[in-house]
Amino acid sequence: MSGERGIVIDARGLSKVFPDGTQALDNVDLEVREGEFLAILGLSGSGKSTLLRCLNRLIEPTEGSVSIFGEDVTRARGKKLRKIRSDIAMIFQQFNLVRRHTVLINVLSGALGRSGLLSSALLRFSEYERKKAMGFLERVGLKGRESSRADALSGGQQQRVAIARALMQEARLVLADEPVASLDPALRHSIMRHIEDLNRKEGMTVVCTLHDIDLVRRYATRLVALRAGRKVWEGTAEQFDGDTFREIYGEDAEPASNTMI
Amino acid sequence: MTTARERILAQQNTPWKKGVRRLQGLMLDTILMLLVLLMIEFLALAFSGRRGPTGLLLTPEEILDLLSYPWLVTVAFVLATLWNLFYRPLGTSPGRATVRGVMPEEEFLPWTQTSRGWFTALLIQLTFFTGWLITEVQLLTFLTKFSKAADIVRGLMNPSADVLHQGLVLLVQTIFLAFMATAFAIPLAFALSFVAARNLTRGNWVARWSYTLARTVMNLTRAVEPLVWALIFISWVGIGPFAGVLALWVHSVAALTKLYSEQIESIDTGPVEAITATGASTLQVLRYGVVPQIIPPFLSFTIYRWDINVRMSTIIGFVGGGGIGYILKPRVDLGAWGEVGTLVILIAVTVWAMDIVSAKVRERIV
Ligand SMILES: Nc1ncnc2c1ncn2[C@@H]1O[C@H](COP(=O)(O)OP(=O)(O)O)[C@@H](O)[C@H]1O
Ligand SMILES: [Mg+2]
Repeated sequence: MSGERGIVIDARGLSKVFPDGTQALDNVDLEVREGEFLAILGLSGSGKSTLLRCLNRLIEPTEGSVSIFGEDVTRARGKKLRKIRSDIAMIFQQFNLVRRHTVLINVLSGALGRSGLLSSALLRFSEYERKKAMGFLERVGLKGRESSRADALSGGQQQRVAIARALMQEARLVLADEPVASLDPALRHSIMRHIEDLNRKEGMTVVCTLHDIDLVRRYATRLVALRAGRKVWEGTAEQFDGDTFREIYGEDAEPASNTMI
Repeated sequence: MTTARERILAQQNTPWKKGVRRLQGLMLDTILMLLVLLMIEFLALAFSGRRGPTGLLLTPEEILDLLSYPWLVTVAFVLATLWNLFYRPLGTSPGRATVRGVMPEEEFLPWTQTSRGWFTALLIQLTFFTGWLITEVQLLTFLTKFSKAADIVRGLMNPSADVLHQGLVLLVQTIFLAFMATAFAIPLAFALSFVAARNLTRGNWVARWSYTLARTVMNLTRAVEPLVWALIFISWVGIGPFAGVLALWVHSVAALTKLYSEQIESIDTGPVEAITATGASTLQVLRYGVVPQIIPPFLSFTIYRWDINVRMSTIIGFVGGGGIGYILKPRVDLGAWGEVGTLVILIAVTVWAMDIVSAKVRERIV
């Protein structure tokens, strides 16, 4: 069924070697279609974060090409690159809010890619953008918190601000890097459901690195597994079983007793 | 087919770069070896009992003139070369260790089991003994001749009220002088600090060169004492507080740029990454991701700098840069210790008060 949908991400032969010689990615191909919720899994250090960051060039890939929505990301420079990036929202494990700014400014900063230089330098946004930001805050359950300082919020609340920032960006693709790994287990589903909403209600394509197999099974439509920088497995959540698990994580890993990897 | 990894490593290890590193190690070893040899000869001459042309024992200055420099340079070079050639049996030399790292089997040895450890220990020992002679340390005099300085201490303990009024007026001038120097320094240092921050200047070669240039100018400027700047500006704008403002200004720009840029280098990269990912321009990333993180520490450093400038302006005043130091100097020369005492107390109280206030304010900010 995914065959009819447009290709959102088309990455070919991605390799990343850090200056210290660490090979974080080794010839990875990745194809993501519109509307997918793709989970990337693998042990820590397997290259998941590096892969996500190579997609929007927060990290410069050593080799390979990336095209997103048909635009060649790897060749883009300056304005062109910023235009592509503004179409890709990102959610981080550590939330990455500007801690000293208010919640509202943090949400509004999602719109920086399309706002004028001078107005944004003065932290000035149009009434229209403000209203929109307030609406998104209400939607993630943070009504009334818009003038709190970001670092006064709890981890779960901060991640919801980050989701509101992603909504504000009006992106068509979301890259989420371990969005719930630093949160209390009880809060994980609440955040994951918000991300699911981005996927289902907003129609955003989601690529999400995840640690927790239960979460992967519950939310992802498709899985890609990395091991030591290589793509070792690819398939649907239903195809994922104990054997694939050991294939990805090594013989010593135990799926039953060890759903948190 | 070669992998990306092999190619990257090959780029970092071209024969040319290897050669340069080898040469750097050898140069460093030669210099260290030369220092050791020079100090050995220095100490040998000092303890040889040889007498100079005046018939007295050689002074340290005379010994420095007598050392066999060209000869020792040659020997040092030869020894360093030998050590670099035969580093396997001899143990890695300090220069090679600094530039290229040590052999794996030496990695975790304590210094007493490596030749470069012993060499460094010898170097430090020699430096200490040579230093003792060159600076003419006289412990006995220090411990027994206090009575000569007692006069001064007595004067300081009995401050005279004669200069109190003038002192207070000039104290006000000192505080404002330090403030103006700091205020003028802020905008320049703020702008420069972004160029002088390593993490913001890796993008392209223009950025890299600006970084190197900014760092060099900043370090050279800082290397020149404010006292020297004061002399320069006194001949430029004449004796008076403005010369002092300019002298402290130059020094503050360099010092603040260094502190500011170090702060920029240590920011949390998370928000920067997040703002970059929204498609923001470089300026927007600075405005939203960097500036909010650095403003509080910047404020704190700036207040601290004002504090330091108040202290420094005393010395600047000695040479005519305005402020309270200006009337302190002649009284020291005349030996009017009571008046000196008054002025010193005024300065001490001010510095102490500034210190407390600035510490309190800085606590609140960060
Ligand atoms: N900036 C960097 N410099 C050097 N090595 C890095 C850097 N970032 C990540 N790595 C290394 O690259 C590998 C993959 O890291 P990462 O992509 O963060 O893995 P994951 O997100 O799956 O835990 C790891 O071995 C990590 O140590
Ligand atoms: Mg990671």
